[in-house]
Amino acid sequence: MGILRLSHVEIRVPDLELATAYYVEVVGLIETARETDRVFLKCWDEHQHHSVVLRHAPTYGLESLAFKCQDADDLDHYAARIEAAGISTKRIPAGELGPGSGETVRFQSPSGHVTDLVWGMEQVGNLLPLTNPPPEPLGLVGIHPPRIDHAFLMCEDVDGVTDFFTDVLDFRITEQIVADDGHRLVTFLERSHSSHDLAFVTGPNGAFHHVAFWLDDWNQVRQAADLCAYHGVRIDAGPTRHGATRGWGLYFFDPAGNRNEVYTGGYWADPDREPVTWTEAEMGKAIFYYEGVVDQRFLTEHS
Amino acid sequence: MGILRLGHVDITVPDLDLAAAYYTQVMGMIEVERTSDRVFFKCWDEEDHHSLAVRYDPRVGIDRFSFKVEREDDLTELERNVEAYGFRVSRVSAGEEVGQGESIRFETPSGHEMELVHQVEKVGGLLPKVNPDPVPQGLTGIAPPRMDHLLVTAEEVPEATRFYMDVLGFRLTEQLLDGDGHQIGVWLERSHSPHDLAVVSGPNGGLHHFAFWLDDWDHVRRAADILAYNSIQIDVGPTRHGITRGNTIYFFDPMGTRNEVFTGGYRPDPDFPTITWTEDNIGRAIFYYEGDLNDRFMKVHT
Repeated sequence: MGILRLSHVEIRVPDLELATAYYVEVVGLIETARETDRVFLKCWDEHQHHSVVLRHAPTYGLESLAFKCQDADDLDHYAARIEAAGISTKRIPAGELGPGSGETVRFQSPSGHVTDLVWGMEQVGNLLPLTNPPPEPLGLVGIHPPRIDHAFLMCEDVDGVTDFFTDVLDFRITEQIVADDGHRLVTFLERSHSSHDLAFVTGPNGAFHHVAFWLDDWNQVRQAADLCAYHGVRIDAGPTRHGATRGWGLYFFDPAGNRNEVYTGGYWADPDREPVTWTEAEMGKAIFYYEGVVDQRFLTEHS
Repeated sequence: MGILRLGHVDITVPDLDLAAAYYTQVMGMIEVERTSDRVFFKCWDEEDHHSLAVRYDPRVGIDRFSFKVEREDDLTELERNVEAYGFRVSRVSAGEEVGQGESIRFETPSGHEMELVHQVEKVGGLLPKVNPDPVPQGLTGIAPPRMDHLLVTAEEVPEATRFYMDVLGFRLTEQLLDGDGHQIGVWLERSHSPHDLAVVSGPNGGLHHFAFWLDDWDHVRRAADILAYNSIQIDVGPTRHGITRGNTIYFFDPMGTRNEVFTGGYRPDPDFPTITWTEDNIGRAIFYYEGDLNDRFMKVHT
């Protein structure tokens, strides 16, 4: 029955120990497995084995990202459609991509990102019992978001890439920022009836703008800003509000320079919801509603 | 691809004008349409024609609840499923019901009339589709962005649960079991939320409450201020649920139908493992801060 949501991202970091310390102590993720060059992490409320993988590499950026499918046969279904669109796919059995990994279809999206569709990742449970659970565990450290939320990527041809994700993978557009000459600068795409699971902004192919973690409300976004400041984490923008998606966000950089976001708010999107359009003149409010202007760092800096 | 979410709840009220005043001024819904004996309301961020319909009747109660399906052919498939289960399904043609196209209606084992609908008249949210601000100004009352879920009562909760799951495709996120392991409450979802529909032990055909979504706990606090200001009888809260983890207030509309405002929870995947609550923890399950149920909450329904 199709793609459910963002499953996980694999991020390159030149200093694995430093990055692990940051994602565990500051972001508050939980380490679930470790190899010599990779560390597997999950958010506290996630049942699946991992939602963030850190990979030791000489550079930074996004190694790959993965979307969770609802049924096993979704993999065949989408592999056939991706192949029909002229893109080769690779079938990878469960376990081969690392501890806990599920059955995977891997391909390079027209945006230049290695993209996986996954089904059947090992379930390790969240941190709560399944009988009479309290609403949240105690003793969590750092920001401790309950779950990963969305990925924001860059590509040269936002129009073409968006068409691929909507026509081949059944994503739906919730919002778009359209340039004065009619081409799309940014698109927001969803599968989970949220304001976005994935977004593309104009930039170099293969570039990684940010990965976002969900927080329950604006007060937690404020607390996240306190934690970032306390730990000397470089804050990029916020706490502020987005016009596009209506969410509240705080952007900051991991020690390698990969951008993170904590995000809350938004809306429920029916599949037949008509997309919202932002014009280039209002792009400032679309991205940062309170400030009304987009700073160049936000548009140009990526990993 | 099946049921998407709760579409609308249709209740009966003995005073249409009082209901309209409460649901627009205190709840902050928008009156969309009025006929001689019915009034239709929607929340500000909803694009569909209505999420609440009230009909004049000397008795307070529920006419039906209506779920929205994703595709037109879902109606045919689910109609077949319901008929195969042994219930009669009636088709309501387009134009027969205000604000929507063809629908199917049937009685469920919990004694409720349920409706499934795909085509709904789109009246739009209060925001434009080009360069919209995130929230309109000048909303009155609590002004929730949308309807969230409802809780109904049934004599045989396990039988009702099997129907909603096996026939209609709902998934069980949480359940409350008595000492014998018998389900006395179930929380069911289609929208990847903790619940779109819940069923607890009680008389068949009863409505315990329907709930509106709020964005966060601070909005719940403001709702309590607005309720108190308008002398609305608060039932319980602001508090938190153990079940669903949501934050909440329960209160009664002036005719006696229980309302809730709700926020929080989590996003279960379809393979989410069901959470079980045991009866000895029922207090914390329902009201996590108090750890205790009040009698009124257990007994009053419409």
